Amino acid sequence: MDNKTLWSIEPGKEVSVERILLEDDLSRRLEALGLNEGTILQVITKKKSGAMVIKVRGSRLALGKQITSNIEVKEIVCG
Amino acid sequence: MDKHADGFHVAFVGNPNCGKTTLFNAITGAKLKVANWPGVTVEKKEGYVEFEDEKLVLIDTPGIYSLSTYTIEEKVTRNCILDDDIEVIVNVLDASNLERNLYLSLQLLELGKPVVMALNMMDIVEERGMEIDMHRFPEMLCDIPVVPVSAMKKRGLDILLHAVIHHKEAVTLGEVFSYSDNIEEKIEKLEVVMSAKYPNHSSARWHAIKLLENDELVSEEHPVDVSRIVDKSYAREIIQAKYSYIDEIVKECLFNKSKKEAMTDKVDRIMLHPVFGIPAFLLIMAFVFLLTFALGDFIKGYLEILLEWIETGVLNSLNAINVANWLQSLIVDGIIAGVGGILTFLPNIIILFIALAILEDSGYMSRVAYVMDGIMGKLGLSGRAFLPMILGFGCTVPAVMASRALETDKDRKKVMLITPFMSCSARLPIYVLISGLFFGKFAPLVSFSMYVLGIIVALLSAFMMKLFDKSTNNNSLLIELPEYKRPNLRSIRIYVWNKVKDYLTKAGTTIFVASIILWFILNFGPHGMVIEAGDSFASIAARVIAPVLKPCGLDMWEIVVALLAGVSAKELVVASISVLFSTASSSGDLLEGIKSLYPAFGAANALALMVFSLLYTPCMATIATIKKESASWKFTLITLIYELAVAYGVSTLVYQICKLL
Repeated sequence: MDNKTLWSIEPGKEVSVERILLEDDLSRRLEALGLNEGTILQVITKKKSGAMVIKVRGSRLALGKQITSNIEVKEIVCG
Repeated sequence: MDKHADGFHVAFVGNPNCGKTTLFNAITGAKLKVANWPGVTVEKKEGYVEFEDEKLVLIDTPGIYSLSTYTIEEKVTRNCILDDDIEVIVNVLDASNLERNLYLSLQLLELGKPVVMALNMMDIVEERGMEIDMHRFPEMLCDIPVVPVSAMKKRGLDILLHAVIHHKEAVTLGEVFSYSDNIEEKIEKLEVVMSAKYPNHSSARWHAIKLLENDELVSEEHPVDVSRIVDKSYAREIIQAKYSYIDEIVKECLFNKSKKEAMTDKVDRIMLHPVFGIPAFLLIMAFVFLLTFALGDFIKGYLEILLEWIETGVLNSLNAINVANWLQSLIVDGIIAGVGGILTFLPNIIILFIALAILEDSGYMSRVAYVMDGIMGKLGLSGRAFLPMILGFGCTVPAVMASRALETDKDRKKVMLITPFMSCSARLPIYVLISGLFFGKFAPLVSFSMYVLGIIVALLSAFMMKLFDKSTNNNSLLIELPEYKRPNLRSIRIYVWNKVKDYLTKAGTTIFVASIILWFILNFGPHGMVIEAGDSFASIAARVIAPVLKPCGLDMWEIVVALLAGVSAKELVVASISVLFSTASSSGDLLEGIKSLYPAFGAANALALMVFSLLYTPCMATIATIKKESASWKFTLITLIYELAVAYGVSTLVYQICKLL
């Protein structure tokens, strides 16, 4: 299956992070928060503006559009 | 052996919102502000405690997710930990979220300093039916002491201190787990280079790892030539390795990972709803302020009766013991009118702070950053910038300091410039007093509209700055949303009491002194004591400025005096107005006083006065804070001038429009 940007994912879906295309500073910060390549996360809600709330490693993060549109993910097929 | 005369130094370090300050308060008896959102603490604080005949200096630090830092408040913590002054690190963890919290722990252990782990929020862990294997867990973390505590319920505190004292000499080797062979080989080589150049360095392994991550700060602080060993950044591999080790720990030590988080998700379905999120936020704020004004005014009515009763009582007893007239006037018209007048607003202020405390402690606060992100994005700011603005409803000083959590200097300055427009609690009495006099039953609504106006002016200012600022905006919201919880009574009590204490202290000091000074400059002129306030020093000076305020309908010297006094503390606007106008009428009634001096002063003037008070130059304390946080007099001056200009412009607009209607 092809990679998609995180912000195209609908709420409720689980995805795994494939690539983080952000500047070093920001991606390192995300990594410190537990969001790195291979991490599985769940989309809780999102807004048209591109902001999202995700659940990753047991904590909830609110992410702005600049971040959600620069993370490539792969949907996990249930079952 | 102890290095310090004042005891040995222990730093509390951990992720944001894991309860460091609650733990610090519980042990030291301090009353620092705690709330349920990441980033409440932005400065390190010291506290002292004696335990088992040892003196300890405890240091509370702002929360960090990692030792690679990003914002100002995180640098505060990083510098504090790396400082060799710290003898023991107490790593505080939110045990209900081990997975994320352990990432920082692994870095702290790599430092090689003595670390004691405090597993906080164990009560929540148990409530959720989770279990931690307390035998295996420390084994996987270099055998450091791990102490379960509950800061909120004050459990496990003595055991923690005991562990700190007994562990202060124990130095871990810094090797919690091994990276891949390739990385380990490079670490070893780097350690050799490091110890050759800096033989006294205590955290060689940690430093070597940081060098492999291409950490700029580390290479700046301890420059070594490592280009032959570090051929690229290994940051990603190192982080991945840490997380796989954490996965191992969680797999081995954590049982029954919870399902019981449904409550937060249910509430968030409404609070974070793409459409209803913003209306929900506005409703909450409207409720907060209407409660403040409607209920507050109700209680205030009784306090006013009490104050009048005291005033008559004092006057009668002063008369009875034949106190000189001027002294009677100073005590009754000066001090009681000024200080007492301020105290009657206490109910409004207490209600406002209780509401804000509940908002902050429930976990909703950081949600606001998400809800407002869309709007703030259009203004060139991230949703995170809205948090200092909300804090501004309480007091502008901590609000300006909270801007430290923002990523760039530019964003910080923007927020510092617009935060003073958010109406602080010291400005609240002005609306309550003035709208009560001129708007009758619409008074609460008029007061509320001042808050809305403040927000609008702040947002418009941000928008204008964005228009002038051509650089692309890279603002990206990134904030953790904590679980909702029932607001803690103790936290709210600390929060509200701190604010009330500030208010009372101010009434007893600044406002007390200022009331006396005011009384003097109002009752004395070039020829000694005056009968007509119009001949006083204050009047003579203020009359020079008054005509400038004609376009906004405020060209009365009494108002000029009040506004000038308000720069030292905004409460003084109300205190001075009470002193100035109530003496003008025989009965001491404020409205009568105003009408007898200025018959034309009506609703339009009143509205302009409130608008001007809302928007003009912030108080001294705020000015000093802006100077300190921006480290620039030029920026501070620009802020002051801008705010004065906006106040003048908007209040003129309001006054002229009202005149037309």
